[in-house]
Amino acid sequence: MPGRPDQDCDHQLSLLGAAWDSAAQHWHDDAARYFDTHHWMPLLSASRSYLEALRKLIAVLDSAERDTGY
Amino acid sequence: MSSVDADIDALKRLREALTRFRYAQQQVTDRVGSEIETARASLAEKASRCRGELQQRQAELDACRDRAANTTGEESLVDCSGYVRAVAETQQRLEHVQLWQQRVDEEAGAFRGTADGFRALLETDLPRSEAHLAAAIASLEAARGLHGPGS
Repeated sequence: MPGRPDQDCDHQLSLLGAAWDSAAQHWHDDAARYFDTHHWMPLLSASRSYLEALRKLIAVLDSAERDTGY
Repeated sequence: MSSVDADIDALKRLREALTRFRYAQQQVTDRVGSEIETARASLAEKASRCRGELQQRQAELDACRDRAANTTGEESLVDCSGYVRAVAETQQRLEHVQLWQQRVDEEAGAFRGTADGFRALLETDLPRSEAHLAAAIASLEAARGLHGPGS
């Protein structure tokens, strides 16, 4: 069952992070370094920015509903 | 595949995790769009209700003032202050809802910039990352003479 979008986003990011950590333990060649620099880090950065923006938005939507619950 | 090939196993799991992440996050971004529309609709409904209520309170106040204007003697002490208060309170509620409508629009607009970039990453960059991993896996397997299923 889906939860709040920000919580789901965070959860998915955690799962992916665990998969990357596991791969990084075994993968140390040039291809690994290239992937880290050109794929993983940009993905991580964009995902974190998105998650931060999403949390802010969801907080505003929650506040709007709560504050106008006449 | 032996423990010597643990790196290949880990890379395959990472590639699968990337694919799951892409689909799951696309669903999240779709749901966020729905959440925004739901919040907007809820605020619009509240604003509409406030407008209707305001119209009714204003009519009641007008009727009271008419009564006050058309009565004489002791009857002229018609007190409309309660109606005045009711109009002011409803007006305040309406303005409060309208401020939230404006805030939600602003926040949704600001969020859209980040969300569009993330969506593009999911649809364009992430498949490239998956392909890059697939190539790395194929390269490792070829170097070790492995061509197992799913490789």
